[in-house]
Amino acid sequence: MHGPLIETLARQGVTRRTFMKYCATLASMMALPPAAGRAMAEAMAAAPSASKRPSVIWLPFQECTGCTESITRSHSPTLEGLIFDVISLDYQETLMAAAGHQAEEALHAAMKANEGKYLLIVDGSIPLALDGAYSCIGGKSNLETLKEVAKGAAAIVAMGSCAAYGGLPRANPNPTGAVSVADVIKDKPIINIPGCPPIPVVMTGVLAHFLTFGSLPELDKLGRPKAFYGETIHDRCYRRPFYDQGKFAKTFDDEGARNGWCLFELGCKGPITHNACATVKWNGGTSWPVESGHGCLGCSEPDFWDGGGFYKALSMPANPLKMAAGAAVAGLAAGAAVSIVNRGKKSSARAAHETTTLADLEK
Amino acid sequence: MPHNATPLHAIPVVTVSAGLRAGELSGNAPTLLREIAEMLRRLLATDAGSAIDLQALPLTPADLIWLRARLGEGEVAVTLNADGDSSLNETACPGVWWVTHRNPQGAVVSEFIEVAYVPDVVRAPREDVVIGLESLESLSAELS
Repeated sequence: MHGPLIETLARQGVTRRTFMKYCATLASMMALPPAAGRAMAEAMAAAPSASKRPSVIWLPFQECTGCTESITRSHSPTLEGLIFDVISLDYQETLMAAAGHQAEEALHAAMKANEGKYLLIVDGSIPLALDGAYSCIGGKSNLETLKEVAKGAAAIVAMGSCAAYGGLPRANPNPTGAVSVADVIKDKPIINIPGCPPIPVVMTGVLAHFLTFGSLPELDKLGRPKAFYGETIHDRCYRRPFYDQGKFAKTFDDEGARNGWCLFELGCKGPITHNACATVKWNGGTSWPVESGHGCLGCSEPDFWDGGGFYKALSMPANPLKMAAGAAVAGLAAGAAVSIVNRGKKSSARAAHETTTLADLEK
Repeated sequence: MPHNATPLHAIPVVTVSAGLRAGELSGNAPTLLREIAEMLRRLLATDAGSAIDLQALPLTPADLIWLRARLGEGEVAVTLNADGDSSLNETACPGVWWVTHRNPQGAVVSEFIEVAYVPDVVRAPREDVVIGLESLESLSAELS
């Protein structure tokens, strides 16, 4: 195993065994077969040298900085942090030392020097109402900035549910006219990393892929990396055996809840949510919502914020595929139209309701 | 506080230990024994090692304890000190290793059953041996 990346890491005291261990764990997190860990170690060790570090520009729009918090507070000086050293983060408002004109200069210098090659990371939604006046940086609306910076980007990473789907700012009635990156930019490869916030290692995994292969990983139909969003929370949940046995917590303080039974009836959105929380966990692998006794909110799925209640059990209509298509269409409509569609949808869902069985979910 | 409010001690809070909480066998562990046997047959036939990612399977903590007890303790236990401790312990079936990777805080980050004569990560990487030789040579150069 040799190459510029592993030698950079070696100078920082990271041995090849440590790197192999990291790759084995990253492969496990990416839901790849164990043999892929070895292959990734070989490929990543040979990533480009420091002199050719890929430039990364990170633009914050209508957001809460939770995504930045999630990434920067991933357990401190680990390999994940070291891999961040292997990129050149040229603009990140929250983290950069420069401010005002100097910061804007850094942005334009990086754009010019790396034209067509830089990776653009966006967190936050883009407000379109009032000509974008709801969110401006340096006197420019987010819409203007996004269009300008996207022009020279090799690819765009939409970090978090706001950038990927419009997020909480887009919640009904969407006062700022918030939209996602993909709603604005149509001519660049876009990778969505949804979650509120997304899991740090998903970001690292995508960067590792970009470093290793110079391309984006395989994406699902919502533009999410399949490696992390390929399976549902439910499929990988450690409480799944209780679901299979029909053992459910009925309230948050009953015997079932104390015994760690399935939270499906308490509104867990695990069965329809594609994310890696169940395997990767949070806070350095300490725990995750279901392990802490609360159902999944479904924060990595479009329109989760308008889903009609975090504590309502998922009702399974007779034709779930038709339902999903209806929900997506409703998400594009606005205002009164949405509520009318929703009312109709709700009653048809109620009429079509059937008790969910394991077989339904595994169809 | 209104006089009719429930006193705190009257609320029936019962703590259940972690072991009990998910202490039931899911029935998924015994099938793994057959898969491991198949992996051992492949190792003997082709020398090809393989591994099972234990975190990728719906196993309860009780399942893991059951599996670990069935596989038993072998003769070799390796501790790898690399960005947190890892243990690579041979089970009572030679060639079947229980591999647990931990982070510096001690939390388990990944866990595998690896079938191999010696797990890959235990072998010293060739490049590191070269570095070791260089430092040994400079050490003896200083002494002479």
